Amino acid sequence: MSAAAPAATDPVEPLDVDLVKRSQAGDTRAFDLLVTRYRSRIYAMTYHLIQNETEAWDLAQEAFIKAWRALPNFKLDAAFYTWLYRIAHNVTYDWLRKKKIQGDGEFDDERTEHRAMPGSRTAPQGFDAPDRAMKRQELGSRIHEAIARLTPDHRQAIVLREIEGLSYEEIAEMMKCSLGTVMSRLFYARKKLQEMLKDTYENPV
Amino acid sequence: MTKEIPNQKSEWRGRVKPLRHSCFVILSSFVLLNSSFCPAQQPAPVPAKKPATDGKVWGALVYATTDAAKLTGSTEKAPENQKDLSGRLGKVFTPYTHFEIIGQHFQDVFREYESWVVPSRDLFLKIDSKGPAAGGGMNLHLQVWREQQVLVKTDAVLHPGSPLFIGGPKWRDGQLLFVLDLQRK
Amino acid sequence: MKTPSDENHDLIRWLDGEMTADERRAFEATLQNDPELAAEAESMRQLSESLKTHLPAEMPVPHADFFNSQIQVRIAQMELDDAREREKAAESTAGWLSWLRMPWLVGAAAAAFAIAGLVWTQNSSSGTSTIASTYTPNPSVHAQVFHSADAQATVLMLDGLEPVPAEKKIVGFRVHRAESDAEVATTTLFDENGSVLAVVALNAKGQPQVLK
Repeated sequence: MSAAAPAATDPVEPLDVDLVKRSQAGDTRAFDLLVTRYRSRIYAMTYHLIQNETEAWDLAQEAFIKAWRALPNFKLDAAFYTWLYRIAHNVTYDWLRKKKIQGDGEFDDERTEHRAMPGSRTAPQGFDAPDRAMKRQELGSRIHEAIARLTPDHRQAIVLREIEGLSYEEIAEMMKCSLGTVMSRLFYARKKLQEMLKDTYENPV
Repeated sequence: MTKEIPNQKSEWRGRVKPLRHSCFVILSSFVLLNSSFCPAQQPAPVPAKKPATDGKVWGALVYATTDAAKLTGSTEKAPENQKDLSGRLGKVFTPYTHFEIIGQHFQDVFREYESWVVPSRDLFLKIDSKGPAAGGGMNLHLQVWREQQVLVKTDAVLHPGSPLFIGGPKWRDGQLLFVLDLQRK
Repeated sequence: MKTPSDENHDLIRWLDGEMTADERRAFEATLQNDPELAAEAESMRQLSESLKTHLPAEMPVPHADFFNSQIQVRIAQMELDDAREREKAAESTAGWLSWLRMPWLVGAAAAAFAIAGLVWTQNSSSGTSTIASTYTPNPSVHAQVFHSADAQATVLMLDGLEPVPAEKKIVGFRVHRAESDAEVATTTLFDENGSVLAVVALNAKGQPQVLK
């Protein structure tokens, strides 16, 4: 994970560490600058994880509020963004758990494993609803739709790896699971995405 | 991300509670083609245990007018703990002299869910509890709705015996008002 | 012998650059001899690139100023609550003075003012209700907040609202209790006798509909 937004390296802009120290002293204006600096990244993360603009907006806000509350305990031993990102992830993860949003069975980890055995590597089952309207859609929106149809665990693994570029160890720590589980989730999430996007790759828009 | 119309800004606040339209939005986005998740298709749920609450409010819709002959004839009466409500409303909402309760609603404020205070089908309130405040009060996010339009959103702290008077839209020769009061525990 | 799970993990680790140099060389040798696996690897690599391209790491926050201001308002509210807790026993005047000595909080309150229109806070150790922020989606509607000592009430005046047509009949309820069903996002309103008065249901846009 990259430690800071580009703005933080601009010599004119105050450094994260200075803004954090001022925030810890109670300076809400400094915290406001941190919000501005990182809101787009935190919002992107919450949005990708739950695929709903309004809820993602609320959760991103909740993450910053929680960060403000927790700032006195932040020891500056990690990059601020890494620390903030964990909070945002936990807020979103708790929300997902609370909502008990699960895949409906078709997409749960167990069943997907059965369907995506190595024998199906080059012959994944087709996504069965590729109607004409979908074919006209941009690849981007198809990817978003596909991501939305993953289970929350698979979605998180993909977002943490592909977007945030976290290492397997970091993902395991964040998702509170083993390295093996991380790899399985990444594998089956990608298999599932391949299946759902098969039509796209075979018939590029 | 195309929600740039200023009026839609209203849709971006205070939705962190589980009971909302998001239920539907999430459903449609997550399980669009896999509707077995849809609660409508599940067997009727077993009655849940009573949800946690942060307090109780009394909400009323009041018609204010200067002309007693224009009153609607509602027989609603203010509860006993609302001492001299008409007199107090009269001190704020001049020049009105007559205040008639059209509808009223005692409502538990749920801790986890949004709470609707619906003294009428046309004008009503939505409350999201933000937890207790010092001195027996309650932090809340309050919205005033007129049918399917939100008129105002506020963050407020309510204390028992210190009601909120809300001046709403004009109606006939008078005005519609809300009274919202946190009840003592 | 490697299990299917190991093979899958090797593929993933190769794709994600999580292999050591030796592992990588060995796996790439395997790819040379296994066209099926090579095709799978290439397909996954393409997918990975597409994901990186189409899932941006940054997305503009809708109504970004409102996003920030709401955070400031909530922080100010939390600080207010904390300050009240700390000074619960103190006299209200002392409370005010201590407030004025907190410059950052004043800044937060000012930010709240700027965005939320009229913001009114009051030290309410006496238990007076307060309104910390208001937001009216319709720009022609203005909210004013004040406290009326005479009426012993906090007042929120909404100016600029469209009048309700005179011919419209306002239907009042006398709601005794309500039950909410979180699963289907409805609230059922009951009268004193336990009869259903109405049901509040949210439509797909999150707007309430009162159904009788």
